[in-house]
Amino acid sequence: MSGAFAPNLERPADDGERCFDEAASAQMERFVRDFGRMYRERNEALREVTRAHHAALLQLSAAADLKDDDTGVHIVRIGYLAEALAMALGQTTGYARMLRKAAPMHDIGKIGTPDNVLKKPGPLNPEERQIMNCHAAMGAEILGRAQIPVFRMAAEVALTHHERYDGKGYPHGLVGDAIPLAGRITAVVDFFDALTMDRVYRPAFSVEVALEMLAAERGRAFDPVVVDAFLARAEEINALRCKITQECPSFDALIDSP
Amino acid sequence: MWCLALPIAPNALERPLAMKKILIVEDHMDIRKLLRMTLEFDDFEIHEAATGDAGWALARELCPDIVLLDVMMPGTLNGLDVCRRIKSDPGMLHTKVIMLTARVQAVDKEAGMAAGADDYLMKPFSTLQVLETIYRMESAL
Repeated sequence: MSGAFAPNLERPADDGERCFDEAASAQMERFVRDFGRMYRERNEALREVTRAHHAALLQLSAAADLKDDDTGVHIVRIGYLAEALAMALGQTTGYARMLRKAAPMHDIGKIGTPDNVLKKPGPLNPEERQIMNCHAAMGAEILGRAQIPVFRMAAEVALTHHERYDGKGYPHGLVGDAIPLAGRITAVVDFFDALTMDRVYRPAFSVEVALEMLAAERGRAFDPVVVDAFLARAEEINALRCKITQECPSFDALIDSP
Repeated sequence: MWCLALPIAPNALERPLAMKKILIVEDHMDIRKLLRMTLEFDDFEIHEAATGDAGWALARELCPDIVLLDVMMPGTLNGLDVCRRIKSDPGMLHTKVIMLTARVQAVDKEAGMAAGADDYLMKPFSTLQVLETIYRMESAL
């Protein structure tokens, strides 16, 4: 074939290797380079949008936490403790980091829980209990609309952090490993951190008592493997808890640190 | 909320973990170059070979994480031969092989899979599919 409309797109290179016509090749390279630039700019924009979205959702989680009489540092601790526990369980660094960023938003749904239920001093009646329990699904609803992996994980944690290993939890009564690992980990660190914190209705439990209470729920509320990993490194995890309380890392640090 | 057509790298939103080593084995100089440019969208350590024989030698030396492997190549080893060798090498148990094939018959896909390939891509390759396939392999590593 010959002629202007049927150009031969291949030419032999100097060393005999197969290659395209020089001009066609140069043009293709331009296309690919431009496409690469758009791809990287897309990723950069996505990073920025994700950051802003994450920061806003953490603020909302902090607001829900304040409504619940906490100081706000509780949710930051949950992130770092969940990360440490995930590492202790042999999960990848990537998974553990993502959990650090996702777990603090587990109670975001409490933003929608009425104060007369959330702040009721005594025990809840069945109707109030039902309203209270809605915070898991509400949280998942708020978090779960994005395709970004960290928010998917956050939604999963919000939905499942009140499931129990023995199947008596809510909202779905999932049993054992049917509860996602992220939810099983967050449930344990949330339990421990809540116990070792002063509340309006009681002073903090000592670390020793909190660990005993955790051990008592092994295989009941919590995954025995997760509890064992926690207990095996209790000292280290508690030191981290104290460090976070003291240093009180910002949300920016929570999002950005490696 | 967001629906994205372009693939999201596992590390696109995170700081990169260890950089993955990728070997391109392809006898067409410009196809090789376009593949390299595509991989340069991300942070990979990229190596190239122009024949099956050179590819196998380089694979043994580098123990790459992922090999992009053309089927039809001049020399004593074609892509399927190289794939079989990689897959039976105890030093490359973690290595994922993606076959690149211009032919579209199911027979070739089967031959590739029989040789132990983890996935395959049709030429002309799609830039997005190359990245998607690599990200999929990467998250399985």
